Amino acid sequence: MNYGFLINNQKCIGCHACSTACKSENQVALGVFRTWVKYTEVGNYPDVRRNFQVTRCNHCANPPCVDICPVEAMHQRPDGIVGYDSDLCIGCKSCMQACPYNSIHIDPVTKTAQKCHFCAHRVENGIEPACVVVCPQHAIVAGDLDNPKSEISREVAKHNVTVRKPEQGTSPKLFYVDGHQAALTPLVTEGRSKHFIWGEVVNPDLKEAHTPEEPVLYFGAAEQMVQTTFNVQHKVPWHWQVPAYLTTKGIAAGAFMLLAAALIYGWSEISPLTRLAAGGLAVVFSLLTTVFLVWDLERPERFLQVILKHQWKSWLVRGAFILIGFSNLVGIWWAAELATYFGLIEATPVWLTGLAIYLGFPLAIGAAIYTAFLFGQAEGRDFWQSPLLPFHFLTQAVMAGGAALLLTAQVVELDPGFYRLAFHGFTIGLSLNLMMILLGEFGMKHPTETASAAAHMIVKGQYKNMFWGGAILLGNLIPFGLALAGQAAPAALLAIVGLYLYEHVFVMAPQKVPNS
Amino acid sequence: MNHKLEKHAQEVPQFGETERKPISMLEVQQPDGRMTSYPPVEHWDDWVEYDSRAWPKKVARNYRLVPTICFNCESACGLLAYVDKETYEVRKFEGNPMHPGSRGRNCAKGPATHNQTYDPERILHPLKRVGKRGEGKWKRITWDEALAEIGAKMRASKQQRKDGIMYHVGRPGEDHYTNRVIKAWGTDSHNSHTNICSAAARSGYFQWSGFDRPSPDYAHAKVILLISSHLETGHYFNPHAQRIIEGMQKGGKLITMDPRLSNTASKSNVWLPAWPGSEPTVLLSFANYLIQNDRYNKDYVRQWVNWEETLEFFVGAAADRLASTERLHAFQSELKKKKERTFEDFDQFLKLTYSEFTFERAAQESELPIERIKESAEIIANCDGRLATHVWRASSMAHKGGWQSARTLFFLNVLTGSIGNEGGTSGNSWNKFVPEPYKHPPAFEAWNELQMPHEWPLSFYELSFCLPHFLEEGRGEIDVYFTRVYNPMWINPDGFMWLKALKDEQKIKCHVALTPTWNESAWFADYVLPMGHSGERHDLMSQETHKGRWIGFRQPVRRTAMERDGKKVKFTYEANPGEVWEEAEWWVELTWAMDPDGSLGVRQWVESEVNKGQPVTQDEYWGWIFDHSVPGLPEAAKKEGLSPLGYMKKYGAFEVPGDVTKPYEKAVDATGLEPDPQGRLKDKEGHVKGILIDGKAKVGFGTPSKKLEFFSPTMFAWGWPEKEYTIPWPLKSHVHQDEINRQKGEMILLPNFRLPTLIHTRSANAKWLYEISHNNPLWIHPSDAKRIGVGSGDLVRVETEIGYFVDKAYVTEGIKPGVVACSHHLGRWKLNETGPGLGSGFASVVDLIEGQNGEYRLKIKKMGGPWKTWDPDTARVWWQDVGVNQNLTHASQPDPISGAHCWHQKAMMVKKAESEDKYGDVFVDTKKSMEVYQRWVGYTRSCVDHSPDGTRRPMWYNRPLKPTKGAYKIPEKPFGR
Repeated sequence: MNYGFLINNQKCIGCHACSTACKSENQVALGVFRTWVKYTEVGNYPDVRRNFQVTRCNHCANPPCVDICPVEAMHQRPDGIVGYDSDLCIGCKSCMQACPYNSIHIDPVTKTAQKCHFCAHRVENGIEPACVVVCPQHAIVAGDLDNPKSEISREVAKHNVTVRKPEQGTSPKLFYVDGHQAALTPLVTEGRSKHFIWGEVVNPDLKEAHTPEEPVLYFGAAEQMVQTTFNVQHKVPWHWQVPAYLTTKGIAAGAFMLLAAALIYGWSEISPLTRLAAGGLAVVFSLLTTVFLVWDLERPERFLQVILKHQWKSWLVRGAFILIGFSNLVGIWWAAELATYFGLIEATPVWLTGLAIYLGFPLAIGAAIYTAFLFGQAEGRDFWQSPLLPFHFLTQAVMAGGAALLLTAQVVELDPGFYRLAFHGFTIGLSLNLMMILLGEFGMKHPTETASAAAHMIVKGQYKNMFWGGAILLGNLIPFGLALAGQAAPAALLAIVGLYLYEHVFVMAPQKVPNS
Repeated sequence: MNHKLEKHAQEVPQFGETERKPISMLEVQQPDGRMTSYPPVEHWDDWVEYDSRAWPKKVARNYRLVPTICFNCESACGLLAYVDKETYEVRKFEGNPMHPGSRGRNCAKGPATHNQTYDPERILHPLKRVGKRGEGKWKRITWDEALAEIGAKMRASKQQRKDGIMYHVGRPGEDHYTNRVIKAWGTDSHNSHTNICSAAARSGYFQWSGFDRPSPDYAHAKVILLISSHLETGHYFNPHAQRIIEGMQKGGKLITMDPRLSNTASKSNVWLPAWPGSEPTVLLSFANYLIQNDRYNKDYVRQWVNWEETLEFFVGAAADRLASTERLHAFQSELKKKKERTFEDFDQFLKLTYSEFTFERAAQESELPIERIKESAEIIANCDGRLATHVWRASSMAHKGGWQSARTLFFLNVLTGSIGNEGGTSGNSWNKFVPEPYKHPPAFEAWNELQMPHEWPLSFYELSFCLPHFLEEGRGEIDVYFTRVYNPMWINPDGFMWLKALKDEQKIKCHVALTPTWNESAWFADYVLPMGHSGERHDLMSQETHKGRWIGFRQPVRRTAMERDGKKVKFTYEANPGEVWEEAEWWVELTWAMDPDGSLGVRQWVESEVNKGQPVTQDEYWGWIFDHSVPGLPEAAKKEGLSPLGYMKKYGAFEVPGDVTKPYEKAVDATGLEPDPQGRLKDKEGHVKGILIDGKAKVGFGTPSKKLEFFSPTMFAWGWPEKEYTIPWPLKSHVHQDEINRQKGEMILLPNFRLPTLIHTRSANAKWLYEISHNNPLWIHPSDAKRIGVGSGDLVRVETEIGYFVDKAYVTEGIKPGVVACSHHLGRWKLNETGPGLGSGFASVVDLIEGQNGEYRLKIKKMGGPWKTWDPDTARVWWQDVGVNQNLTHASQPDPISGAHCWHQKAMMVKKAESEDKYGDVFVDTKKSMEVYQRWVGYTRSCVDHSPDGTRRPMWYNRPLKPTKGAYKIPEKPFGR
């Protein structure tokens, strides 16, 4: 059994019956849709057409939403249906980042991720999905793709079919007969009018034109009308907490990496206070990291599910274990250091310090870079899927950790040698970071349109001020100058602020590139 | 009743849980490879399925599946209500697979019936006004009080006159029941929405054939020619759309005429965005192509068209009118000399008459690419007698003389012989089945001048939208005015004239609004009586959805479910939300209340035949009909071991057997019939019973000649003798190019297109529909937008002859330059911010400002938005813009012949909004309203001056309710004389 959909655009009349039948069958709240009919208009009078495209989950054979889900809420059933389980979902929204088709939403009632589930509650007993039954034209066919006699198998064989974004490697199992490029490829109508035929566009992000660096002109002259005139207005899943988490995580990991390096280099020379201060930074910012992570969950009270119901393929789970390992190890060691400092115990056991250094160092690196792999799983955000990203996060961690230590030095006197190490880590991190941003993330041509569109939005579009003024000038160039001029503390402060701003544009912009 | 039942539709519905498991249909193998679509009928009384919300947890629920009929548009599609076995709450509405018209499928409005049932702002109890009209102060009364008070007023009126009660219907939702009740009252009381909907098309079709609407067989057509948007709009959206696409999948070609790129136009093989009003010219160029190239079905035309009669007029009475060219003159002289006139002469007459309709002329007048016209003509010429055509509203209802759109369109059916055959176009009455009730009240002897005034003797039908103008002129007054699923102030043109009338307690003495939902007009009623929605009422319906006949039974699904569980329900309001009732029972009780002792002779018609002296129950009424009046139904029921009523309650629909192909060609038993000189077969009393065609007695058409009337002797006799009225010919529209000075900024406003998701003003209680479609921006072509300096989203002011409105622009290549278009469902408003009324997500709150001299202004005070109710969804409404009530600014433009409101407005100016203009602003000067109205009255030719026989209207012309012959006499003191 391998369920899939075929949608025959020759028959579809854009009546929206499937949309309301789905709302009715699945009691879907206002504000979100599991299936909708996208309208696009193409051409010049009198040679003009309106295209309708029933748009929904593709029940991919290779579903990225399932891989990224930390708790098996998103799951692929043996019959090929990609289902969800609202009782498991923690509302981390990573599936929404993984889906290149905008097919998943947060249900306003349960605050969990939901989407078309092929009416599994009906199909399991052999009754067709509600949208199939209601359709006046039988334009939607649902059935078993493994059975050559099924209606869907025969229809797929008979027609020239297309799928949405096959290049994502997801193997969608929703096939369109007469799919139209203007509807299939969301970016085709980018930069064009964003007014709907009979509905209001309330999402400010939609009103913005997110034009790719090199605008796509599928339909000849630029004067040709190509506009999306009905669509569902999706909300951005991840908010400021995510860049904040990236920043605090960088500080925690970076500070500890520098400390560990110093200890390896000559641990006896690092004073207890310095150890306490640097270790404290790692501990406090690890905790902050957790706070931000949980904060952006739709179901924060379920955060432990990540551990209890872990799904190992998800980098969110792997990352959580790394973070837990890191923060616990460092935490215990730091507690011992603290106890030693206050004379509660004689000395931190050597084996514990050894463990903290030799295990903590790789864990810190892991904590710094695992997010790159999580972002790599976000199939819906091409811009994040950068091979440079692990190295970039590492660089940022050293820079941010160094910066945080330089600031700490304002209140706690650090060992001069360690201070130098922090300073060098900071400045080298700063220059490497700048290089990676300008030559790496933005200097190279992007492999896909969506990545390119996100980059454009950052460098020339909506986020250009935050990027150039905030992340680059305030966060890199000025700190570099100040550092050279010996003004370490303000440099460090600005660099951290700049890092947040960079992470902000880096996280937000790709989410605003339309996937449907 | 327990607490839960009383709370039905007043709190989030709860559903029971069962231990049982759903039956598995996985083993069922459909021959076409499909999965099973519906629960099998044998399980409808006890169906278990898993709760979708709890999934993947397997929570099973138990439902009884009760069929009913959708009450949104007029298609009457089947629905299947899932009624919870424990709580009797309706979980959802799906399609009814047993329904022959909709075949188990629905449009977006079908499932959204659930929203309408569970609308938190429903009117739940009968209300009576306590303050001034329109003040918005109401008190709850009982149904008994409502019946007694209104019944007494009706009785008093009936005792004085036979034209004091008026029933004004928006959506009938049934085929005979209410009309029968009105006849029982013995008053001329039927008023409708027909003249803002279909009057013109009816007029054009009726002149040809004696039926007043088309029923195309799209599924088998080779060519489908639409002047409408039937892939998205009513009459009959879902059933027709299914069959249009079916026809196209089989290779049929679709040609659509529409100045706007409708969804239908977009799906067409050929889109013809003709200049509005030029459609007849384009259609006649197709006809001319067929005629000049001898590519029309001559045999068919010879047999079925009144060509002999036409030639008779050509050489006789209409000689001057029909011989408009020198060549026709010469031919006429030649013909006069001939003793015998042959069909070849008629062929020659056609060739000479229509030769002026060249492709070049059509292209010039329509501003269409000539290639498209030629392409369409060639497609039509190759239709092989399978041409399905349809016009219902669109251009016919848009223009002065718009009825010629229907007449010229049907001319193509006549020429290709595509009438009543497979793939052709039938008459509605051939594909619609209206069974007879147990007894009929006699015709009334009355003529209500407020409904059918003397100026429009040929109208189809009541001049409904001019009622306020008639009242203003002092043509009469109304004692009891019922509006039924009708929002006249909002939907009609010139709404502020309606406001004036509705507020005037001298003119409309008592206004009773029967409505499932709040509306702008009900706000000005004296009684607001809540009536049920789709799953809350009894009605019997049939529609000409395809080549076949069916009846569909609407029933109150909770009541049916309860009764099946052995619960006693006397009146439907006991099972509905709050005290929501249904008209079918209400009319019986009201008629009883009007004549409690039977002295008026009215009561007898609603008395039971079984329980003498008692009102007839719904089960008795429909039971009788199903027992006696539906051929094949008793037999089908018997096979299932059911009574016919039981069958209809179980299945909800029945396909009436019998062949519906070309009923006019059916043989007639000619015994005792004598042919007259025209070949019409008459019985001894002189009634025409058939027609001789090539020597064979046939049924024929419903016209006086029994043939398809190419030349209309009726038009000729009733004051319209000119060629452009008597034969298919273009008439100059009030928005013809000559009337629109585009350089000055004048344009055409196309204000009456429908959306697939909404239905007039009755769907503003369906959250799922409004979520998809909630505003009505003004479609404008980029060239026009550039000229006036606006882009999409910018405010535009559209000035009509009587006022203006301010809307947002929607710039699209999908509209003809020179034309702006605005959908007419949106722009709902209310005067009160809190209290009863439409939900805040569906209507804006407005200030209604009345000037000193008949000026009116509407200004949006608060846009739509979320609001708190027991339904958590209302707080999730995310849109604010709910549109502009543009209809208020439309001048009333009654066509002098059909009486149709000619919807297209001359936009005196379409321009970028001025700085003081705000979105949603509406301004109207009702003095101008009356001026425009009177100008249009001036176009009429009254029966007083033109009746050939001293009657008000040709006897053979339909009326929804025909009075006695005596009532047809021209009044002694006609208004204005």
